Amino acid sequence: MSSEINTGFLKDKRLDTIAADILRPVGITQGFLVWMAFLSISLAGCIYAYYIQCDKGLIVTGLRDYVSWGMYIANFVFFVATSLVGMLISSVLGMIGFKWVKPIARIAEIIAVAFAAIAGLVIVSDMGRPERLPYVFMYGRIQSPILWDVTVVTTYLVLSTLLYFIPLIPDLAISKGRIGHTPKWLQSTYETLSVKWDHTPKQYQILLKLVRILLILIIPTAFAIHTVTSWLFAVTTRPGWDSTIFGPYFLTGAFVAGSAAVVIMMYFVRTNYKLEKYLTDYHFDMMGKLIVLVSIVYLYFNINEFLIPAYKLKTAEAIHLQELFVGEHAFLFWTVQLSGLILPIILLLFKFFRKPFPIFIIGTVMLIASWFKRLLIVVPTQENPFLPRQFVPDAWMVYQPTIVETAITMGTILMAVMIITVLVKFFPVIPIWEVAEEECHTNNDQPKV
Amino acid sequence: MKKRYLSLLLIFVITLRLSAQQEWIVPAENLSKLSTFAFSDSTRKAGMNLYITNCKSCHGDPGKNNVIKLVPPPVDPASDRMQANTDGGMYFKISQGRMPMPTFKNILSPTDVWVVISYLRSFNPKYAQEVAPKVLTGAMVQNVKIHLNWLKEKDQVQAVVSGTKDKIEQPVAGAEVKLFAKRYFGNLLIDEARNTDAQGQVLFNFPKDLPGDSTGYVQLLARLSDEEAYGESKSETTLQIGVPTYKPPLNEQRAMWNVVQKTPIWLLLSYTFTVLAVWAFIFYVLFQIRAISKSGLSKDQDTID
Ligand code: HEC
Repeated sequence: MSSEINTGFLKDKRLDTIAADILRPVGITQGFLVWMAFLSISLAGCIYAYYIQCDKGLIVTGLRDYVSWGMYIANFVFFVATSLVGMLISSVLGMIGFKWVKPIARIAEIIAVAFAAIAGLVIVSDMGRPERLPYVFMYGRIQSPILWDVTVVTTYLVLSTLLYFIPLIPDLAISKGRIGHTPKWLQSTYETLSVKWDHTPKQYQILLKLVRILLILIIPTAFAIHTVTSWLFAVTTRPGWDSTIFGPYFLTGAFVAGSAAVVIMMYFVRTNYKLEKYLTDYHFDMMGKLIVLVSIVYLYFNINEFLIPAYKLKTAEAIHLQELFVGEHAFLFWTVQLSGLILPIILLLFKFFRKPFPIFIIGTVMLIASWFKRLLIVVPTQENPFLPRQFVPDAWMVYQPTIVETAITMGTILMAVMIITVLVKFFPVIPIWEVAEEECHTNNDQPKV
Repeated sequence: MKKRYLSLLLIFVITLRLSAQQEWIVPAENLSKLSTFAFSDSTRKAGMNLYITNCKSCHGDPGKNNVIKLVPPPVDPASDRMQANTDGGMYFKISQGRMPMPTFKNILSPTDVWVVISYLRSFNPKYAQEVAPKVLTGAMVQNVKIHLNWLKEKDQVQAVVSGTKDKIEQPVAGAEVKLFAKRYFGNLLIDEARNTDAQGQVLFNFPKDLPGDSTGYVQLLARLSDEEAYGESKSETTLQIGVPTYKPPLNEQRAMWNVVQKTPIWLLLSYTFTVLAVWAFIFYVLFQIRAISKSGLSKDQDTID
């Protein structure tokens, strides 16, 4: 993001076309209502499952003494991971100066907001006594990574929301007069949220400064959020978690999951909103290359994470690796590693697979695989504790998720999708002013105002 | 294929060795030893308490066969194998122990061991106790008392044993006395077992470097070995004869494992500073949104649109 802006685009005719294209799908359409109704009804079922859990306690889940972190915590790690992509796209790539990230930066930011917002709820779903949540703040210990995690997730959510909202302000002002086809309340929301934006150079100057502050601030915060999440595991001495590279291992894994989510959402936005002009094959091609890059880095950390313990084969580690490579979890493990990492790397090296539809399919597989990858990080370790497992029912020895628990997990995913749907449907999903500025700036030599 | 046979053979040999090891032979003279008192509900109850603190962690709940996994495995007290022991056999095994079964002779007094046995026997409906006939040794002293003194110049602890005989208080001569220092996990034998002289006195050499509490106090315990003859006779005294040792409790200083009020300073500072710094920027950004709103057209005429 440059520190100065050429506001000439505001007088350019092309702004009207761009705004018209991007604002066309905004508003309450029938498709939107049907989709939201479907989501709400499904969510109602999940909320009922949660009611059962609150009523009966965690006994309705597959969690027992040995495996006390199951699907919920895996889901939490997944949510945090996916939300990190906001930082990767907007900050890292944006500040380096890659122009192609401009139209997709807001998509990445929407994912960041939705997933970070729900991540907190996911943790609550793992609590047998959710009404004791305030105790974290009343009696929390600064020494505990759990408190750091709560702090950093909250901070990241606020930063992501600001990073979504602030660049949206000029768009809201541009859109104000152009969304006559939408209900009144939405128009007045635009009015309020655009905080009297008048496109004055002073306003642009402040805005660019704020965005720059946020872009810089969010990098350490995003690193912290996922590193601290990895520490929840790595500060223990348990096989599979007792690792010094868990921070970067989680972080790079997060970029893989997040990039896959961005590709999926880009594809939906492009096809449903007919925005092929803005989300072009080129953007998908670049995302494909990005995925190859982050996946190779993640693969590198995977090799580190498994090769070193496998070379030393300390007893507990050996049991753990045995379970993953050839034991109980082998099928899932290899499926996840192949479909979520190795195959995508190979396929996306070819230009054909970086076209929108093929990469959308690959991205979907990767995102699902990355959810299961988190399950493989969380569960197998607990099934092999250091002390002998004895005097407990056989069913406690392994983790068997229940329907209730699966429904609650589905519910959190539905909620994230709802947030995304609302943001995408009520506000321009592609930054109008940035795209217009880019377009006029590169094609015309407008005098600076 | 060859390998498989080899490992089968190995397993066979190991099993043989293990089962060979399982014979635990009690020397013949110990087999017929008997308790001097009759087992009753109160001894069984006291025995249960001793069992819970000292034995249950390995032997489990009697009758449930939930012994801990050790090689060789502990024996369930209610099992036939346990009950097949004679009283004397049990007494010997509990006092002596055999890896991994610990030695209890310094931890439990002879009376305690019999009390535990009375509890173990309560799981055997067929058991009928045989009580030892009263032995007429020790010249019939009663009310045996042991008095402990610290002889500072010689680094010795003196035990004076006396009892009443024919209603007259007099020294007990020729009795074996053991001196123990109480430690966290059981009693530590000091010096060695020694016999009283004609004055009923006995001297124990006391080590100079035995850790005491923060002011040097050590709890001492003296016991006559021959409880059958003298009855239960132990004496506990606390003397200031150890090396003062002060081990600060682990939660005294600031530490990662301590309560939040005792967070390590470096952590407190890093956490607070980081959080404050980041949130200062966040609030700055929020206030600047107001600034944006204020520099709209109404104030600023330098406009373009
Ligand atoms: C550290 C674990 C442990 C503790 C504590 C322990 N035992 Fe044992 N015990 C064993 C083991 C192991 C054996 C089997 C030893 C062998 O066969 O060599 C055993 C054997 C015995 C036997 C002999 C059984 C036989 O084979 O005839 C008796 C009696 C016994 N224990 C009583 C006790 C009593 C009473 C206590 C408590 C005062 C106690 N044990 C505490 C581990 C323990």
